[in-house]
Amino acid sequence: MGFQKFARGTAAMALVMGAATAAQAEPLKIALVETLSGPQASTGLLYRDAVKYQIGKINEAGGFGGEPIELLEFDNQGGPVGAADRVRAAISEGADVILQGSSSAVAGQVTEDVRKYNLRNAGDEVLYINLGGEAMELTGSKCHYYHFRTSPNAAIRVNTLLDGMKEAGVLGDNVYAMNQNYSWGVDVQDNTVAAADRLGFTVVEQTLHDVNKIQDFSPYVQRIQAADADTVITGNWSNDLLLLMKAASGAGLDVRFGTAFLDQPGNIGNAGAVAEGHFLSAPFNAQVNPEETSAFMEDYKSVTGHYPSYVEPTTVFGLMLLGEALKSVEPTEDGLNAADLAVALENATAETPMGPISMRADDHQIIQPMIVQEVSKDAQYKADDTEYGFVPIKVISAADAEQPVQDSCKMKRPG
Amino acid sequence: MKYAPLLLLVTVAVLIALPWLVSGSMLNAAVQMLIAALFAMAFGLLCGQAGMLSFGHAAYFGVGAFAAVHAMNAFGGEGLLPTPLLPLVGGATGLVSGLLAGYFSTKRTGVYFAMITLALAELLHALAPHLKTVFGGEAGVSSFRMPAWGIGFGSLNDVYFLTLVWTLVSIGLLYLFSKTPLGRLALGLRENAHRLRFLGYNTHALGTLIFAISAMFAGIAGALQSMNIEAANYVVLESHISTAVVLNSFIGGVRVFLGPAIGGALMTFFGHVTSDLTRVWLLYQGIIFVLVMMFLPRGLVGELVERLRNPSGEGLARTLGTVLARLVSLAIAAFGAVFLIEFLQRVLSPEYRAGVTDGTWPDIALFSYDWAPLSVSPWAFGLGLFGIGIALVTMVNRRVAARKEAQA
Repeated sequence: MGFQKFARGTAAMALVMGAATAAQAEPLKIALVETLSGPQASTGLLYRDAVKYQIGKINEAGGFGGEPIELLEFDNQGGPVGAADRVRAAISEGADVILQGSSSAVAGQVTEDVRKYNLRNAGDEVLYINLGGEAMELTGSKCHYYHFRTSPNAAIRVNTLLDGMKEAGVLGDNVYAMNQNYSWGVDVQDNTVAAADRLGFTVVEQTLHDVNKIQDFSPYVQRIQAADADTVITGNWSNDLLLLMKAASGAGLDVRFGTAFLDQPGNIGNAGAVAEGHFLSAPFNAQVNPEETSAFMEDYKSVTGHYPSYVEPTTVFGLMLLGEALKSVEPTEDGLNAADLAVALENATAETPMGPISMRADDHQIIQPMIVQEVSKDAQYKADDTEYGFVPIKVISAADAEQPVQDSCKMKRPG
Repeated sequence: MKYAPLLLLVTVAVLIALPWLVSGSMLNAAVQMLIAALFAMAFGLLCGQAGMLSFGHAAYFGVGAFAAVHAMNAFGGEGLLPTPLLPLVGGATGLVSGLLAGYFSTKRTGVYFAMITLALAELLHALAPHLKTVFGGEAGVSSFRMPAWGIGFGSLNDVYFLTLVWTLVSIGLLYLFSKTPLGRLALGLRENAHRLRFLGYNTHALGTLIFAISAMFAGIAGALQSMNIEAANYVVLESHISTAVVLNSFIGGVRVFLGPAIGGALMTFFGHVTSDLTRVWLLYQGIIFVLVMMFLPRGLVGELVERLRNPSGEGLARTLGTVLARLVSLAIAAFGAVFLIEFLQRVLSPEYRAGVTDGTWPDIALFSYDWAPLSVSPWAFGLGLFGIGIALVTMVNRRVAARKEAQA
């Protein structure tokens, strides 16, 4: 008799425990597949800081379905092959959302992997949130329903930059388009040329040069001089931007640069006074809406040890949008239905210190305010421990920053 | 060496049974290990057997990868080129580009040969971003593995078996090639090209041919990779792919037949496991390479084969004892070194330093203990273990040397 009682008791216990686990949903797993080692790790680590910060905030506010969100980290080893491998690993460990940002090459791989996985595993979809792959085709020919981009792209960067410079009265009549010869540089050049009629300037010359191979930019500076340009619009980043600006300044050239990535850590520290007076269009500036922004700046610093810069604010804002979307999704028995989250993301808006942001349903490109800014000594927050920082010149509202959906995006919506 | 066929059979059997033995993530690593093994074998044919050190093998790997991806898109896995035969395209383009590149590069030998291969690979690498239609621009060319021959090719298992069959067949072909007169002549080319020419052989044609065959197998490996990830991106042409295959092959042992394959597989596995564990895995990879080159210049497999061929004559028990003693003391030293590196890396990381406020240094958790960075204990622990390990190794080495001297 003793044994029967024991058995019955155990069975009852098992039942109760089973019921308890069923009622409690699986925690939502979000995987960051980023470049965390090797020569390109510096940007990847910035994404990691920002993601950890904002997932922490979402968890403080209750997480998802009453459970804290679990953040998995994977090192994609800097390339598409490693990324493909880590995306598979992330999915097999139960990740429902994949985050990545530091390279368009990797983003191209991840977005295609997610698309194919979803085709082969209907009903068990995963979502890819692209935090920073800015190549146009990711929301163009490669766009699909489960890809969401939370950073701007070439069209948004260039058009807001030109609008802002025009309004500030610093966009000359003769614009020189100087870019790196690959898809990103070509996109920036095309958008610069396309805006010429609308804003009434002439593109005096366009140059595409080798990527990260040129040590001496003086021949290019001579061409700028010969073309009699007063403004140079460039999508260059890293060394190609620094060396170009230094060569121009060394030749005593009086031109103003309009750039996309001048805020990359190290650029201002390296360029110093050479960068003064040049322009940048980015989704964040620390002096816009001072009250909310400085609270965000200080809070970010208290958690990560540094002020947010470069890709970090956009990443945080993108994940704020994810947090808002998660609020309106009901957890299912096995955690999260990615299709529900996709719908929620399309309908969500988030209030960031820069203003409201939302996701455009047609191509899943984020619509967010852009800030045209100038490098100046008057900046409140200095960059790279120099005396320079970024002063906002014009805040372009989310609606004005929006650019038309590309024709090449043929998004298949489920159902 | 009479156990070699048996060992081979067991290995193949384990490889076939692998999908039922390991997790999905490990199977994924296995696919990449196989590809890296085949790529290293292709390199080994050129560098180990024919003695031509190429610094640009990523070019043929990449050409094969892009050819396969375009063929995958063009045929859709049907007609003349069903999915399982796609690596043929990679092999064919590898062969053709190898013939072209080989014709120019094998006109010179030694350092000049290496420079030409490097230059040709860089040429392609610099050209690729400009040709958006062929190389797909920054986001790459992607594709979709279509079902063929009644196999879906959607699951990882299918991909694994496809890669396994192609890798085993290719390595088998490479083995048979090494037994042909041409394969034997490759050794002659390595040992003494002048004498070969005096004997009446056309060494330039010979070099070109071997270069092309090596490029062909590199192309097959590239095709397998683009089939695995269903995409190709021009970063596959970057020089670090070329250097990785050189390092892998030398770690394995470039002059023994399966050395490069084992080196490639081991180092890929190492990267797969350690890159999620520690941020500084590339440092460990470099340390391993330096240590292997310093103490085992024949490579891991090369050294093993050498030991098996020339046993120390001390009897099995004693040899095993020495090997075990060496391994244990090396493991102690390695643990000490890893502890020091990891601890230092944590102390220096920006996250940790953000937590350092007004001179108080919080404890750091490492290997399930908390260590205070300002106290002696972590440093003494790491350095101590490292020192003990090294001391033990030298002791074992001295005793072995003393025994040898006593015998002699």
